[in-house]
Amino acid sequence: VSEANAIASGSASAKGSTWSRFGRWLAQERVFRLIPFVFVEAVFVLVIIIPFLLMVYISFLKWRANRPFEQAFLSGFDNYAQVLTAPGFWAALGRTFYFAGCAVTLELVLGFVLAMLVARTVRGKGVYITILLIPMMIVPVVVGYNFTMLYIDSGPINQLLAPFLEPFGINPRIRWLSSPTAAQWSVIFSDVWQWTSLTFLIFLSGFSALPKQLINAARVMGASPWQIFWRVELPLLKPAIVIAVVIRSMEALKLFDPVVLLTAGGPGTSTQTIAFYLWEQVWVFNKFSFGAAASILLLIIFASLIFFGIYLLVRQSAEVAQQRMS
Amino acid sequence: MTAPADMTREQALSAGARNTRRQRLRTIVRHAILIAWALVVLFPIYWMVATSFKESGEWVAWPPHWIPHEPTLKNYSQIFVFDTSQKGVAREATEQPFNVWGPLGDSLLICTLSSLIALLLGTFLAYSISRFNVGGKHFRHAILMIRMVPPIVIAIPLLMYYAIMIPLATETVLGTRISLFDTRVGLSAIYIATTLPFVIWMMLTFIEEVPYTLEHAARMMGAGRMYTLRRVVLPLVGSGMVVTFLFVFILNWAEFLLALTLTHPDVVTLPVLLNKFQSASEGRLFGPQAAIGTIITIPVVVLGMFIQKHLIKGFSFGTIRK
Repeated sequence: VSEANAIASGSASAKGSTWSRFGRWLAQERVFRLIPFVFVEAVFVLVIIIPFLLMVYISFLKWRANRPFEQAFLSGFDNYAQVLTAPGFWAALGRTFYFAGCAVTLELVLGFVLAMLVARTVRGKGVYITILLIPMMIVPVVVGYNFTMLYIDSGPINQLLAPFLEPFGINPRIRWLSSPTAAQWSVIFSDVWQWTSLTFLIFLSGFSALPKQLINAARVMGASPWQIFWRVELPLLKPAIVIAVVIRSMEALKLFDPVVLLTAGGPGTSTQTIAFYLWEQVWVFNKFSFGAAASILLLIIFASLIFFGIYLLVRQSAEVAQQRMS
Repeated sequence: MTAPADMTREQALSAGARNTRRQRLRTIVRHAILIAWALVVLFPIYWMVATSFKESGEWVAWPPHWIPHEPTLKNYSQIFVFDTSQKGVAREATEQPFNVWGPLGDSLLICTLSSLIALLLGTFLAYSISRFNVGGKHFRHAILMIRMVPPIVIAIPLLMYYAIMIPLATETVLGTRISLFDTRVGLSAIYIATTLPFVIWMMLTFIEEVPYTLEHAARMMGAGRMYTLRRVVLPLVGSGMVVTFLFVFILNWAEFLLALTLTHPDVVTLPVLLNKFQSASEGRLFGPQAAIGTIITIPVVVLGMFIQKHLIKGFSFGTIRK
C-alpha cells in the first residue's frame, strides 16, 4: 500500500491547480479511507444522535405539546418517577414480551419444520420456496388489513368453522377481535403468518449449507435418521438457530403495525404493545416529556437485550471463522 | 435385525416394495404439509385481491362470497381518479373518490431517493471497512445496533427535532423558519439513517468476495483510486448493489410508524393512506382498501421474487457460508 502512496505523492509535482492538488490530498490512503466514514457518521449524528440528546433534555422538562416549548421548565426526575409508577407502562411491556415469546417460539418451530421438509423435497422445491417466502415481502400494514378481513364476523374463517359450531347451538359469526384473549391470539397469528417466512429463509440457508459428505458418512456408519438429525444436523444448524432467535426477538419487540390496523390496542388495553402504548401517550394524549422519559427507560431495557443479542452473534461468527480456519 | 439366510427372492422383493411404499407415504405426507402451509400463506392475499373486485354489497356478505359474483373495477376507479375537477361531496361514502396518485408518487419518490442515497453512502463505507478496517474491530456490530433500536424510540425525539428544534435553529441562523416535519426531505433523511446499517451489512458480504489483490494490481499499474473503484470493484459488486437497493427499497416501502409520526397532512405514503381508511370517521371501505392493498403489494412481491435467491446470502449475516 505504501507503494501506492508513493505513486500518488511522487506524481504530485509542483505544477497543477488547487483542485488537482486537493484531489491528490483526498487520494492519500489516510484521508481516502475516512471519507465515507465521515459522511455516514454525519448522517447518524444529524438524524439520530442530536434528536436523542434533545429527547434526554425533554425528559427532564415538564412539558405538554399544547403549551409553547420555550415556557417549559425543568422538573428533575418527575417524569421518570411517573413512568415507573404508571401501571400501563409495565402492563404493555409485559404484554410485548408475552406476544414476542409466543410468536417467536411458533415461528421458530414452524420455520424449522418447513425448511426441513423443503430441503428434503426434490419435485416442486422452487415453487414451494417462492410461495413460502411471499409473506416476508408484504407490507405489514397490508397484512393487518388482510387479517381484519378474515377476522370480521362474516369472514371466511367463521364460515369454515360454522359446520362444527352450529350443531352445538353456537352462533358461528364470532367477532374474533372483540374478546381480549381471541384478539391477542389474532395479533400473534398474523405475526406468525408473516414472519415464519423469515425463519424459514434462515433455516433453509442453514440446511442447504450442511455438508453432504458428513451426513452420508454417518449413514454409512449405521446411524439412524433420528441419530443423524440430533447428533449431526442439529449441532451444525446452531448458527442459523442463533441468528433466527436474535433477529426475530429484536423485531418482535417492536410490534406495532398490525396492532394499529387490527385492534388499535383494544378491546380495552388487551393488545397494547409497548410501541403502541408510547405512541398513544405522545400522539393522542400529547404527553411529550412523559413519552421521552419512557423512551429512555425503554431504550435502557432494550439496550441490554441488544448487547446480549449482538454478543451472541459476534461469538457465533467468531466460532464459524475458527471452524473455517481449521 | 438381519434377514434370515433362507429368505426367498419373493420375500426380499416384498421387503423392498414395503420400503419404497413407506418412502412414498413419507413423500405424500411431506407434500401435504407443505401444500397446507402454502394455502395458509396464499389465502389472505387471495382474499384481498378477490375483495378488491367485489361490489360494496358483497364485502361483508354472509355467507362470504369466495369468488366475486359480479366482478367490478369500481374500487379501482374510485382510487385512481383522473378527473380531479369534481371535488363536491358525494352522496355516499362508497361513491366518494379517494385519490391514490399523490401517495403513490410520494411513496415512489421518497423510497427511491432515500434507498439510492443510503446505497451510495453505505457501499462506500462498507468498502472502506472491508479494505482499511475503518472504525475498528467492532464497528460493524455497533452499526447493527442502530438497526435494532425500536423505531418508536427514534420517532418521539425526531418529531420534536423536526417540528421545533430545526425551525428554531433556522430562524436564528437564516431568519426563516424551515420545518422538516411533514416534508419529503425529512422523511427521506430518517429512512436513509435507518436503512444504512442494512446496506453496510449486505454490501460487506458482497465486497469481501472481491479479492484485494485485483485492486492492488490495478493500483500498481498506475490506476488512480477512483478509476480502480469504477473499473475494477464496481463491475464485480454491481449485482450485489442492485439486490441491496431492491431490499432496502422494500423496507422503506413497508415503513409505517415513522411515516405516520412525521407526516400529516401534506405528505402521505401508501401505508399511511391504507391506515386512514381503518379509522371510523372514513367508514370501513373494505373494497377500496383492498384495491390499495393490492397496489402496494404487487410491486414488492415481484421485486422480492426477483432478488429471492440473493436474499438467502444477505440474511446469513456472514455466518453461514455455502
